[in-house]
Order: sequence, then structure tokens, then C-alpha cells
Amino acid sequence: MTILTRRAALGAALAGTLAAPRILAAQGSPTELVVHYPMPAFFKDVMEKIAEEFAAANPGLSVRYTAPSPSYEDAVQQVLRQGVAGGLPDVSFQGLNRLRMLVERRLPVDLRPFLEREGDVAAKGWTPNLLGLGQVREVQAGMGFASSNPIVYYNANLVRRAGGDPDNLPTDWNSLIALAGRVQALGDGNSSMHFRWAGDDWMFSALLYGHGGTMLAADERDVAFNGAEGLASMRLIDRMVKEGRMPAFTVDAALQAFYAGKMGIFSGTTAYIGSMQRSIGRDVDLRTTKMPVIDAEKGRLPTGGNAAVILTRDAARHEAAWKFVTFATGPRGQELMTRGTGYVPCNTIAARDDRFLGSFYRENPLFRPAMEQMPIAQAWYAFPGTNGVRITETIVNNIARVVESNATPEAALGDMANGVRRLLPR
Amino acid sequence: MPEALALPAPRRAAGTARGLGEGAAGWLLAAPATIALFLLLLGPSAALLGLSFTDWELGAPELAWIGLENYAELTTDPVFRIALSNTLLYVGVVIPASIGLGLGIALLIEGGTRLRATFRAIYFLPVVSLLVAMATAWQYLLHPTIGPVNKLLGMIGIAPINWLGSSDWVMPSLCLIGVWENLGFVVVLFMAGLTAIPRELYAAAELDGARSALDRFRLVTWPLLGPTTLFVVTITAIRCLRVFDTVQALTRGGPNNASEVLLHTMYQEGFTYFRIGYSAAITVVFLGIVLVLMLVQTRILDRRVHYG
Repeated sequence: MTILTRRAALGAALAGTLAAPRILAAQGSPTELVVHYPMPAFFKDVMEKIAEEFAAANPGLSVRYTAPSPSYEDAVQQVLRQGVAGGLPDVSFQGLNRLRMLVERRLPVDLRPFLEREGDVAAKGWTPNLLGLGQVREVQAGMGFASSNPIVYYNANLVRRAGGDPDNLPTDWNSLIALAGRVQALGDGNSSMHFRWAGDDWMFSALLYGHGGTMLAADERDVAFNGAEGLASMRLIDRMVKEGRMPAFTVDAALQAFYAGKMGIFSGTTAYIGSMQRSIGRDVDLRTTKMPVIDAEKGRLPTGGNAAVILTRDAARHEAAWKFVTFATGPRGQELMTRGTGYVPCNTIAARDDRFLGSFYRENPLFRPAMEQMPIAQAWYAFPGTNGVRITETIVNNIARVVESNATPEAALGDMANGVRRLLPR
Repeated sequence: MPEALALPAPRRAAGTARGLGEGAAGWLLAAPATIALFLLLLGPSAALLGLSFTDWELGAPELAWIGLENYAELTTDPVFRIALSNTLLYVGVVIPASIGLGLGIALLIEGGTRLRATFRAIYFLPVVSLLVAMATAWQYLLHPTIGPVNKLLGMIGIAPINWLGSSDWVMPSLCLIGVWENLGFVVVLFMAGLTAIPRELYAAAELDGARSALDRFRLVTWPLLGPTTLFVVTITAIRCLRVFDTVQALTRGGPNNASEVLLHTMYQEGFTYFRIGYSAAITVVFLGIVLVLMLVQTRILDRRVHYG
């Protein structure tokens, strides 16, 4: 009891006046679902359309969105705060690698019983692979809503000038790095390439998974990325710098150079397609390809994106919340999402059926590589314990040393392993 | 005995009653401000101090009292050490640079006869603009390949510099932006101080043999600017210690923590790592530095400042 009151007092003090209106806001009429989502720049229009069509298809149910969070980090913070201070929304869209943290705080409702009642879920477009995106250990914490994976963007104008063939872009790292070096040699302020290694461990894991490696050992008590696969990944980054002449740009600087038509190759999430198409110079011929294959058999790629999570504890609202989640992650909801954002749908019917996105993918080749990579996409690994973000920083900081040529791949990987080991739960 | 007691008693009673009444009225009148002061300033500060002795993490169901453990961790945390030394470096570069330049520019504008208001407005522009928006402009100016700054340097044969992306250049770049940000403020404050100096003093100094402009500056302007300088140093120091938005918008502390500063580390720990207790400890250190700085400045400088 003392803990409870202290906790409530602390929560109230910290969340401050912000929490009060949310507590009130969460108690709408029983048929009005309160839903929260992140990154309005990507998702606002899509969410409005989904709410509209959902209400039209389900008389008596409606959706009200709370103020969206600017990023996945903000979104998980908001829900964690509300978990303490009260005022959780009925449904929240949360970053895939934040699900683990929510499950460790016991916030999401396990969706397995709901799925069992649905019957043949694979026939409704939710394959085991796609359901896996929303699973944390044994818990179905959420339903994948938008997914992304890393692809490679090319400026075909520069590729041509560097003697490459835009219709025959590199499919392995050796030729990609060689091409990058030739783009740099063009001079005239052109930069070779950028591999989006900063910000988080996502792109590092793309190389690690590509070699068939894993972040941690199976029992999650020790690091596993310091083996042969991890070393090969770090050496590849080193080669991007030394042979591919990759400059140590910030992500923003690299994107600006790419938009301005002054960078040959940019490798990052498929979610950039929308902003690339909006921001890139009109005379730049933009192309995309799949990530170069490293290990044809064991190679995998990480998935980014978000999942719909049911948070309400009120059993009476579960049915309505589930209806909304299945609509948003069903074929029609996913069609709206992909057309509006460039993320890959988390529903096989939406992706293949001509009534939904079948023709869209034929007509928009830029979106295709991410879609085609889905079979080898696996969950973006979330580290156990409370130091997840700190572990990510440790990884990124050691990659920075290689990119700045301040450390050898071997030394940086060793420090990375030691640093991460200290941060794992004991 | 009864008489002896009876006499002073009413007087004392009346006195205390009046005293009590006045006291109560005083407290009543001061109550709104007192309550506000407690709720908005002292209460949160006490809560912050309390939290810094706990291991509370955002969303965690429980918290434990861990005494000085957070502070012990601070002394061994390399990131905190970098953040602290970067912040002190920033303060150490930006204060003298912006005050030196600011005073020079204020003297030039004040000494000139035309376009004073225009110059004042131009130099003040960075202060009124939104820094986060301006950071985007700086990001473009300092872009390693397409940025105008590197293009200009290229014309005089200087190889392109990776201003915000290399760990050697990122702090100098942030300091440069810091000077730009604070300069206008300093200029305007010094100009206000300069206009308050009586003209006769210059004439008197000249009569007494202060022939050169340098002598007049040394003997009249500088001493009489004392109070202004004290104020400017204090305000600029606090503004510099609070450096956060440029770091958050431009570098996020990178690469490899090279541009980590105190408030950014505090923000990271509290709102990215969710370690509210540890973050509170950093904030306490930050408040401590501000407090010490204020005390030192008012104590030492106060004695030397000439309030003409």
C-alpha cells in the first residue's frame, strides 16, 4: 500500500498537469475508442482515413485519437507515464523494438486468446512470420501495423557518370563498394555513399543478420555479436570507409547531400521512400534495390515499424479494441497504410490481392525491394533489461570510431562487446 | 499578586492580539505568493533532490532509496565526464568570445553616427529567432559538401571541413553557433550600458590628460560599464550552461559522445534511458554549478564593480 501511494504521488508529480486531462480523456463513452499513435508526419492522414472507414463499417463504434507522439521514443515514454499516472489509451501504436519494454512493464493485453477465436488467421493474411513481429517471448503483445526493412537508394545520374549501369545495380557488397569509390572519384563535391549506421543499431544488425549472426547468445546472458559474423560486419563498414570512401556524415547531412543529387548511394530504411520522392531534386533519377545479399542461406534482415497494442484493462472494451486492431492490420487498413507511407504491409492479402495493393506494387517499382525482402525479414532485436537504449548507444559509438578511422574493426568490436556485456542484466 | 498580574495582562494580551492579527494578515496576504513559490519552485526542487537518491525508472512499479549511489556513478561515468568538460569548454569559449566581440561591436556602433538602430536590429536578430529553426539553417551552412561555408573556404584553398560530423570539429562548430547566438544579446546590453555613461566624464577625462581613445576607454568606459558587465557575464554564463537545443537538433551528442553536454546527457538519461533517478542527480549537479557560479559572481565581482 505504501508503495502504491508513493508511486502514485511520484507519477502525479512527474507527469504533472499533463496527466490530468488525459485521465479524463481516456474515459469516453463505451463505444468511443481512444487511440494513440506516433510520428504524425508519416501516419496522420492514414490514421484519419482508417478511423473514418472503421466507423462507417462498424455502426456504434468510433475512434478518437489523442495527440500523436513525435517519435517511437516519445510514444513509449507517454504510455509508460500513463501506466503509472493513469489515463492509458485503449489502443496504442508502438515501435516494434519497444514492445519488449512494455511487456516487461506488463502493460499490453496478450492477444493470443483473440487470435484463437479468429480461427484460421493465415487465411486472413496474418502469417506466423507476420504475427511474430508483435510477439515478445510467449506473449502476443501487438499486431504488426507497418513494417520496414533496409534497402539501398541510388542516384542513377551519378551511377551512370561513374560508369555503372542503373538497370544492373550491384547485388553484392564488393561491387557496391567499388561503385561508391568511383562516384567519389568524380569529384565536383560528390560523395560516394552513406550507410545509415548512426542513431540506432538497426543498420548494424542488418549487416550482422546478413552474415547470419545474432546480437546475443540464445540464453541472452552474453553477447554473440563479437564472433566471426560481427567482425565481418565491422570490417565491411571499415571497407565502406577505406575503399568506398564513405565520409563521416551525420544522417541529416547525408540525406541532404543525397536529396541535392550530390551523393551516389544511400542505404537505410524503406520508410524514406516517401520523403525521398518529395524532397529529392527533380532531375535526379532515383532507384532502389534490395540490400546486397551476404549469406544466401543464413542471411536475414531486421524489421522496423510499429504494432497496434491493446492497453485497456477494461474487458468490456476489449472486443471493440480488437475490432479496430483487426481492421487497421487487415487488408483494407494495410492498403491505406502502404499507399500513404511507403511502409510494407503486415498482411499478405493486402500485399498480393489486386483488390488491395497487387497492382500498386507493379506500378511503383521503388516500393518493391522492401516487399520482396519480407520473407527474410526478422524482428528487430530488443535487448533485455532496462539498458536497451544505452546498449544501442554503445554499439553506435563504437561504429563511429571505425567510421572516423579512429579504431580498427577488431578493437572497436572488442570494446563494443565489453561495453554491452556490462549493461546486460546480471 | 492578582493586581500585579492584572495590570500588564491586558496590555500584553492586546499586544499579542494585535501582533497575531497583523501576523495573520501578513501571512494571509503573502499566502498566494508563498504557496506558488513552494508549489512551483521549492516543491519540485525538493522532489528532484529526493528523486536523485532513488533508483526510480520511468514506468517502474517501485523505487528504492539508494543514497549517494547515483552520485558515485556520476564520478565514474565517462559520458558524464565528457559532458561536463564539454559544457565547461563551451562556457569557457563562448563567454569571453561573445563578450569581447559584443563589447567591440557595441563601441563601434555607438561610436558611429548613422544606422545605429539598423545595426542593433541586425545583431539582435539571432536572439529573437527560434534557435531550433536556425539550427537547420546552420546545418545547411556547415554541410560538408554542399554547404556555403566550405565552398567559401574552398575558394581560398582550404580543404572541406566536416564541421558537425567529425569529433574534432563538432565542439568548435557548436561554440561558433553559440557565439553567434549570444552576440546580439551582449551587444544590446552593452549599448544600453554605454548610453548611460555621462558625456561630461569623457570631456573631464580629456581635460585631465586622457588624450587617446584607449585611455578614455580604460579610465571611463570600462569602469562605468562595470555593473553592465557583471550582468552580461552572469546572464551569458547561465545561457551557455543551458546549451541544449543546438546539440539536440544538430548532433544529438555525437559522434561517439564528442558533443555531449550536461543538459543533453540529463535529457538522454531521463527521457531516453528512463533513468529518472540518475537524471535527477545530473540536474542537481547542474543546479549546483549554476548556484556556485551565481555566488562567485555576485560576491567577487560585486566588490570590484564600480557603481558610479
